[in-house]
Amino acid sequence: MSYDDRANARPNINDESDVEEEALVNDYREQVNYDDSLSDLDRTTSLGGAAAQDLQAQLAAAATPLEYQATLETKFASYDNYCSLFHYILNSDGPVDLEVPSYYWAWDVIDEFIYQFESFCRYRTRVARTGSNEEEAQVLRENPNTWGCYSVLNVLYSLIQRSQINEQLAAIKRGEDPVAFAGEYGSRPLYKMLGYFSIVGLLRVHCLLGDFSLALKTLDDIEMNKKAMFARVMAAHFTTYYYVGFSYMMMRRYADAIRMFSHILVYVSRTKNFQKGGNSYDAIAKKNDQMYALIAICVALHPTRLDDTIHSAVREKYGEQFHRMQQGGPESLPVFEELFRSACPKFISPTPPDFENPAYNVDPVDHHTAIFMDEVKNTVFNPTIRSYLKLYTTMDLKKLAGFLEVESDQLRSWLLVNKQRSRQIRWVEGGLLEGEPVISNDLDYAIEDDLIHVSETKAGRRLVDWYLRNLARVY
Amino acid sequence: MVAFDKCETRPAHIDAILNGLDRYNPETTTIFQDYVTQQCEERTFDCYANLALLKLYQFNPHLLQPDTVTNVLVKALTVFPSPAFSLCLALLPPHTQPFPTTSEAKAASQTSDFVESVQKLSHLSTLLESAQYTQFWSTLNSDDLYADLTADVAGFEELIRIRIAVEVGKAFRTVKAESLEQWLDIRGREALEKFVTEVCAWKVDGALVQVPANKENEARSEVKSERVGIEQFGRVIRRGFELPV
Repeated sequence: MSYDDRANARPNINDESDVEEEALVNDYREQVNYDDSLSDLDRTTSLGGAAAQDLQAQLAAAATPLEYQATLETKFASYDNYCSLFHYILNSDGPVDLEVPSYYWAWDVIDEFIYQFESFCRYRTRVARTGSNEEEAQVLRENPNTWGCYSVLNVLYSLIQRSQINEQLAAIKRGEDPVAFAGEYGSRPLYKMLGYFSIVGLLRVHCLLGDFSLALKTLDDIEMNKKAMFARVMAAHFTTYYYVGFSYMMMRRYADAIRMFSHILVYVSRTKNFQKGGNSYDAIAKKNDQMYALIAICVALHPTRLDDTIHSAVREKYGEQFHRMQQGGPESLPVFEELFRSACPKFISPTPPDFENPAYNVDPVDHHTAIFMDEVKNTVFNPTIRSYLKLYTTMDLKKLAGFLEVESDQLRSWLLVNKQRSRQIRWVEGGLLEGEPVISNDLDYAIEDDLIHVSETKAGRRLVDWYLRNLARVY
Repeated sequence: MVAFDKCETRPAHIDAILNGLDRYNPETTTIFQDYVTQQCEERTFDCYANLALLKLYQFNPHLLQPDTVTNVLVKALTVFPSPAFSLCLALLPPHTQPFPTTSEAKAASQTSDFVESVQKLSHLSTLLESAQYTQFWSTLNSDDLYADLTADVAGFEELIRIRIAVEVGKAFRTVKAESLEQWLDIRGREALEKFVTEVCAWKVDGALVQVPANKENEARSEVKSERVGIEQFGRVIRRGFELPV
């Protein structure tokens, strides 16, 4: 390894953030243990009256996944259970006192609520598309409002408003005391947590419905850093970064998407040894692989130097596909599509399907894949262009067209496309939707009639890191 | 750079709806529809507000007005290259199949005029996004349906021409007048000269058009040096004080 490589390997080494991360990792480790002891405690203390037990059962049920083969009846009953539970929490006389089954209950209940909404919508579309089960189709047709998008959004927005969580978060951002803005409900931890995780829930719902800009807008008051409240619950932390990264990707802000995915993947790789055995481990492992697939896609569309740990993990998991996508060309298209399908969220249609015309009920995943693939097709020759231009400082356009065996006009189009895609909006500060245009490629060019002038931006030697390391050695 | 959710030409009442829960209220649909009409007439564009309208349609399919949707899509074409068009498509019903793959799917979906319009506009978007400007114009002129679809959008061709010129100006320093005529669909040297000098402030030099240097077409090689800030040395300096001399 040459001096330069070593110096560039971890360009943004920052001791402070490392210390912070270490603290968070320890914190997480404690929490895992804490959770165990808490649930033991629960088992012994929650033996109250019969009514209290009923409520406890309802609370526990709300945070528990349905069985895989749950019948339609169970799904309807579960919806009713959520409705009455949220009604009780939101519309009683003043805030209610609930002893929740676990530290993570607020996250689990929101997570499970949205998961059931998602799987219900997908199930309903599938019944209509295949037309295989007339009986179920009839039940679904008669109950168009069960798991309706308006009721689901209503629950999430009500929890957010009741807890005044956005006002609290805005206060924290301004450096003020959030308690002054919390109100009667929001000052209670349960409401505060429910409100907070409803924001993350909204991010997810908007993303599942294909509204990526609104998904990012939803997080306006949340600061994406390790001190954020979601970072205290691993699954929430993980979910947030997955959906934010994915939304950025759909807005063609690949640099920001890569930043999000890298951040969480590094964190997961540091904590994975003590996640094993946790209930959410499998789910996290699956999402983990999906994010590596998405990061591979983003890097193929937007060449970037990745963190070393991430880079080797991508190569290990998707080596062959990663290579083929980076090569570009029409042969890479099936690889892009396959990875995208395996790693995208399970998109849903919010409204009841058309039971009369099965063919009308196109799977929303197909819909979003087709839209994404159109952009991939438009840019699929960028790697080819870049690989040739890298070799020259000036190049005749006709000659290059000859190398590539295409018409000069076609090559001009490719050059224009590559130029356009190397300009991207990248976040600097403020809300997630803000950003500044940057030239994201170290290769640039200008065309003078038929002559291409190529320029390259090179990174200079990085001296600070070297200097600091040697200073540390001498004293 | 204006953030994606902001728009300088957005009226205050639209902004209020977008920032509140009324953005989900079906009764605001007509307000958003009027706003789309206004954008078409006044040559402005507000992607974030138009997406809110498409979301209302997504939640309330019976309210969907095909003409308004196609107007939103046509407006999104005028800001290429940008994700605006695909973000709009993402909120349309999946059965519109904007990019049908097999001829079978194409045939099946062409039972509806709306679906056909969405597919035709998506094809135009692909041509613009992949910088095939000559083909874009020939496609646009090949079918009267396109003229119908773009009729409501004031200055559609003019807006597209300007966008193309801007993109060409970012990549080229000089370009053949002949190529430019095709890319901009301007017939005749005189008309081209008028457009490039008056609208773009470029110069015509015989058979070539000169694009003055701008930030994008200079392509300067540079060495990016490291940014050094005092905070990076915080630890070293702190230790200097902490250690006994």
